[in-house]
Amino acid sequence: MVVGDISTGTEVLVIGAGPGGYVAAIRAAQRGLDTTLVEKDAYGGACLNRGCIPSKALITASGLAHEAGTAEEMGIHADPAVDLARMIEWKEEVVDRLTGGVEKLCKANGVNLVEGTARFADDHTVRVAHGGDGQGSESIEFEHAIVATGSRPVEIPGFSFADEHVWNAADALDADAVPDRLVVVGGGYIGMELATVYAKLGAEVTVVEMLEDVLDPYEDDVKRVVRKRAEELGIAFSFGEGATGWSEGGDGGYLVHTETEAGEESTYPADRVLVAVGREPVTGGLDLENAGVETDDRGFIETDDRTRSAVEHVHAVGDVAGEPMLAHVASTEGIVAAETIAGEPAALDQRAIPAAVFTDPEIGTVGMTEADAEDAGFDVAVGEMPFRASGRALTTGHSDGFVRIVADADEGFVLGAQIVGPEASELIAEVGLAIELGATLEDVAATVHTHPTLSEAVMEAAENAQGQAIHTLNR
Amino acid sequence: MTIEEFRLPDVGEGVAEGELVSWLVAPGDRVEEDQPVAEVETDKALVEVPSSYDGVVEELFVEEGDIVPVGDVIISFRVGEEDGTPADAGADGAEPTDAGADDAEPTDAGADGAEPTDAGADDADPTDSAPAADGSDEPGSPSGRTFAPPSVRRLARELGVDLAAVDGSGPGGRIAERDVREHADSGSPADDGDGEDAAIGPKPVDIGSGDRTSAVSRRDSAAGTDATTASGSGASPERAGRDRTLATPATRKLASDLGVDLDDVPTDETREGEAFVAAEHVQAYAEASARPDAEAAPPAGEAEPGVETEPTPADPATDAPTSTATTASIDADADDGTADGSGATIPYRGVRRTIGKRMAQSKFTAPHVTHHDTAEVDALVSARERLKPRAAEEETKLTYLPFVMKAVLAGLREYPILNSELREEAEEILLKGEYHFGVAVATDSGLMVPVVEDVDEKGLFELAAEVSDLASRARDRSLAPAELRGSTFTLTNFGAVGGEYATPIINYPETAVLGLGAIEKRPVVRESEDGAEVVPASTLPLSLSIDHRVVDGAVAAEFANVVMDHLEEPLLLLNE
Ligand SMILES: Cc1cc2nc3c(=O)[nH]c(=O)nc-3n(C[C@H](O)[C@H](O)[C@H](O)COP(=O)(O)OP(=O)(O)OC[C@H]3O[C@@H](n4cnc5c(N)ncnc54)[C@H](O)[C@@H]3O)c2cc1C
Repeated sequence: MVVGDISTGTEVLVIGAGPGGYVAAIRAAQRGLDTTLVEKDAYGGACLNRGCIPSKALITASGLAHEAGTAEEMGIHADPAVDLARMIEWKEEVVDRLTGGVEKLCKANGVNLVEGTARFADDHTVRVAHGGDGQGSESIEFEHAIVATGSRPVEIPGFSFADEHVWNAADALDADAVPDRLVVVGGGYIGMELATVYAKLGAEVTVVEMLEDVLDPYEDDVKRVVRKRAEELGIAFSFGEGATGWSEGGDGGYLVHTETEAGEESTYPADRVLVAVGREPVTGGLDLENAGVETDDRGFIETDDRTRSAVEHVHAVGDVAGEPMLAHVASTEGIVAAETIAGEPAALDQRAIPAAVFTDPEIGTVGMTEADAEDAGFDVAVGEMPFRASGRALTTGHSDGFVRIVADADEGFVLGAQIVGPEASELIAEVGLAIELGATLEDVAATVHTHPTLSEAVMEAAENAQGQAIHTLNR
Repeated sequence: MTIEEFRLPDVGEGVAEGELVSWLVAPGDRVEEDQPVAEVETDKALVEVPSSYDGVVEELFVEEGDIVPVGDVIISFRVGEEDGTPADAGADGAEPTDAGADDAEPTDAGADGAEPTDAGADDADPTDSAPAADGSDEPGSPSGRTFAPPSVRRLARELGVDLAAVDGSGPGGRIAERDVREHADSGSPADDGDGEDAAIGPKPVDIGSGDRTSAVSRRDSAAGTDATTASGSGASPERAGRDRTLATPATRKLASDLGVDLDDVPTDETREGEAFVAAEHVQAYAEASARPDAEAAPPAGEAEPGVETEPTPADPATDAPTSTATTASIDADADDGTADGSGATIPYRGVRRTIGKRMAQSKFTAPHVTHHDTAEVDALVSARERLKPRAAEEETKLTYLPFVMKAVLAGLREYPILNSELREEAEEILLKGEYHFGVAVATDSGLMVPVVEDVDEKGLFELAAEVSDLASRARDRSLAPAELRGSTFTLTNFGAVGGEYATPIINYPETAVLGLGAIEKRPVVRESEDGAEVVPASTLPLSLSIDHRVVDGAVAAEFANVVMDHLEEPLLLLNE
């Protein structure tokens, strides 16, 4: 008797359990779809294991140590001893709780979890290779697939992550000692966040950046606040230089070599070098071509506003689907993908995607800048509130920075905001809500805010834009 | 004398578009009201579109092979002398006018003070230039200056409303949920006029239903002269015509897919004092509205949801050499590629798409297992040789299929579990106890599976005659929907084209399908006293796919053994 072989079938197959994939899988299962989630490494993806969460844990811990040691002004004299091994262990505990939670949530919602590396066999089948010797592989047939394989750090010539002293962000979040001298290649948000962590932990930090300033996409006055504070923390900057390689230094350390566009070379002594020059999508090895899905020249999968690739039943969400590579974008896309598959009228129609940088001080932005709004043809009304005029900011000891709100002058609709200062990552949420709801400056200004809080600064900025702020001079 | 434009009417069952397969008239032709002017293929059926005017064809706006959305102008007529205007011009004429008013909407919105009119408005998409780490790839949003909260934007998508065309009632033109609902209600042509036009408009004729034009045309003209009679005659279900209806998102989606206005769907259910419509109601209403024959239309609410009127495909395997015709028609369709066909696209619609959906449903629902074995059929071959001339006397061509049907009948009698249907929701397996066999037939437009009923009550010749009649009518698409329904077990004779084994897909929700390879002489091993020898013998390779949820492989094998017994010793068929 010959019996044919049975391969598993699923309605929705999700590849990758980061914030894009696990959110998509849970929502699909909530909608009654038979859902399978394949993950080769760890639940929670880059965000929970090597990105957002561990970095924020170390940012908070190193900030606390630094804060305690620099509060003489408030009458606090302390010299905190940092046990880095314990700090990293604590971070791991946080990560484990969250990743364990993701796994439980998936199971509780009825998502089938499969461990292994998926690759497309054809447009309705993947093969999943299980990790470990002799674990074998299986085929899974699907009706719809959601690719959520995320991104990995870009390597640059001259620096291999295989070398012990060359770090990527994940290594920097798992260090066993604070290096005496750290060179950070790349002044983007990941480089700046980690430079701040290590500066606060006592390392001598130099940031080498090819451009003329840090945090390229942000406005000059926003960058300036962060750079000035970084310099106060002792971080040195070398702009207009690209790192080309390294050599052994005489002292048991290394020399990082850089070159300007004009060909001038410099070297910077280092014990560790963190390369944070960007992230690239993980699409190689997926055999996407077997499903008929193409990538652009940078390897991203192009998708429409319902997260569908050119092959309609194959969706892509998160970092693999292009910029902006942010966890909350990944999750939003994951939800749209699942609901689209469930036949609901979901779409990526958000007016404004917030973004935060957890430097000291933080940056939070959403929607349009003044220049964006002008380019878009709006008559623009802008209001600002410096934190130096905020009672609450002064009582935290952190009063650098400002709230800026951008609105349409005719009707007062809020179009965007840039916040740099304490808790900017939290404050930005209010403006995001205002934009999505179509609130006006007056709506924001007339909403009573608790005193004394940092959030009053948002209200004040809205009043300022209307030329009627109480606590600042109106411009 | 006036020129009347004529739009592709709603061809029923929520179909949003159709392929104009052929024009039955040309410019200059004189047409009478109700005369078919075009054939349109939808994913459900091939339908004739009758004219609603007496006049002369002025212009054809669509080419054969084009996909036409419902409501698009396809043809215009010169309608002359006063008495030449159709009696129902009032009703029909309303349609184009309504659509015109619809088009005018965006202009209204443009004139509204809240909508900026400067040229920059087009690229004023706020998200495009958001200052996020790289603003470039932000997800899209409705055009720049419509201010509406996310819940309202979602509602607009659900109702198919373009927010740019909605007048917002909030401050500065901000759009509220109510604005979108009002816009949808006022804007959708289905709701315009007296609410009767859809019911009495020209109805397409379902060629496949077997009763062709007559009944429908008669009803159309009756409706044309007297709208009240038409709606009273039960030709179409009563429209409830509410202002507000509650329904789940999935139901709303179903309604919009089926082109049904929820406010029209009759229901007794309420939620918090508001009428509540469920998916079954929508389905029933859509089917009742689409049923071309008045008598056939059940009262709304009683129609069985999910009754399929389209052909039920079983397996891409074929029954006859006509499969070459299928290939040919695909080539002809692949129009925008290079000479060698590379880069060409083949439209995925109509019967093809229906087949695809059913295949996917079967394959993804029922875990298939295919059991293969081979019957030695020398005796069967000679039995058929002997009977063939007898059959010919009755003008019947005797193939092997009737023998196989009888052998399968024997198998099913012994193993009724293979003649069953799994009803998962009810947690039961229904043993059919009747023997209606689907027979897969390849046609130009794809696979169809007509049904031979009551195989247990028919003789070999009768079965042969019936199969050949059904197959030929499947090929010219003149089968009635009823002839494509109700099978309990399916046979697919891919061997007629060639090949030994296949893995047939079950004709869901049946439990099993039997595929037949080609009967050919193949080497077989025969044991005799002086050892084993290899001899040529006629053999019939069998491929039996089963739904492993319902039945296990061992039972499938035992069933196959019974079938093989009866094929190897055809005299046993006398029992059946
Ligand atoms: C240091 C750092 C800090 C960050 N901080 C922030 C922040 O503060 N805020 C923010 O919004 N974003 C932040 N990010 C970015 C954020 O981590 C990513 O945008 C987010 O993780 C993207 O989610 P994703 O689901 O697309 O992919 P990922 O989280 O990368 O998950 C992809 C998953 O797919 C798995 N996978 C890949 N290929 C396969 C395969 N073939 N088969 C099976 N599984 C596969 C991977 O193992 C991985 O688990 C940070 C990133 C880094 C590196």
